[in-house]
Amino acid sequence: MAPTLVWQHIGNTARQAIFIILLSMALGIAVNLIRPDSIPFVETWSMADKLAAEGGDTLAITLEDAAALFSDDAAIFLDARSQAEYDQGHIQGAVNLPWHEVDNFFETVIMTLDPETTTITYCDGEACPLSHDLAMLLKDLGFTRVKVLVNGWTLWKEHNLPVTTPSS
Amino acid sequence: MPQKKLFYDTTLTLGYHFTRLVMACVFIYASIDKILHPDLFAEAVNNYQVLPGYLVNLTALILPWLELILGFCLLINRWMAGASALAAGLMALFVGMIIFNLARGLDIGCGCFSAAPDGNPVTLLTLLRDISFLIVSLGLAGLVLVKNTRRHLI
Repeated sequence: MAPTLVWQHIGNTARQAIFIILLSMALGIAVNLIRPDSIPFVETWSMADKLAAEGGDTLAITLEDAAALFSDDAAIFLDARSQAEYDQGHIQGAVNLPWHEVDNFFETVIMTLDPETTTITYCDGEACPLSHDLAMLLKDLGFTRVKVLVNGWTLWKEHNLPVTTPSS
Repeated sequence: MPQKKLFYDTTLTLGYHFTRLVMACVFIYASIDKILHPDLFAEAVNNYQVLPGYLVNLTALILPWLELILGFCLLINRWMAGASALAAGLMALFVGMIIFNLARGLDIGCGCFSAAPDGNPVTLLTLLRDISFLIVSLGLAGLVLVKNTRRHLI
């Protein structure tokens, strides 16, 4: 292996890689400009905005409102995360309804809920889609007061609101 | 010993073309659904929660084309130094993202071969598959280096 050839190879690698990257940037942008179903180049990716955009009144509920309903015992909290995550800690009194196994919980959980009660779904993380998906399903099933607490678990913990953990 | 040398060269050549074609198929196949459905793929990218919001759509628009072009380079055996290095780099990036999100327990769709964010969830199997692809791409990058730095053959 001649050292000059190695340097030549490194130079070629860098040049070709940069060229391939520039070409994909150009093509990606150009195609998006001309295609009919293009997407905006820059978009706000906040879940709260998205929930607001989908219906007239937003599905999202603020932490303050959710906490108020919690202290009045006026809402059911549904934890859309997996059972393992739920077991590690959840909002006090929340019912586990894992979105990925929602079918298995249909009779044991969904059928026992009152469609007229305010129902607040949550999962974890700003972009977590589980609570949103669950809320849409409940709405389709005729639940009238469904809300999503975006980033619920993290927010709830950060504000030291009542939780149930394995140690408590 | 010319016999032994011939065997060595043949093995290298076969390995080179095999890994090249495998990764070409992987990247081209992976790019198509994402190019067809940029809106879905953007959502899948966003779900990984590693990029600031304003970079999500640009990534979703450019990354699939990068996969397609480098896959095409691998297929037609041109610009192999750059394409094989990019392939290994991308696979390392994907493996890193998957480990990162498995470690923090995020339940997200893969967005690997289909753009749909709620298609295949990211699992340990996804990780093993991508690690295998990473090994193949690293092998290819190594073979390209050997090929380009030897005076003859392959």
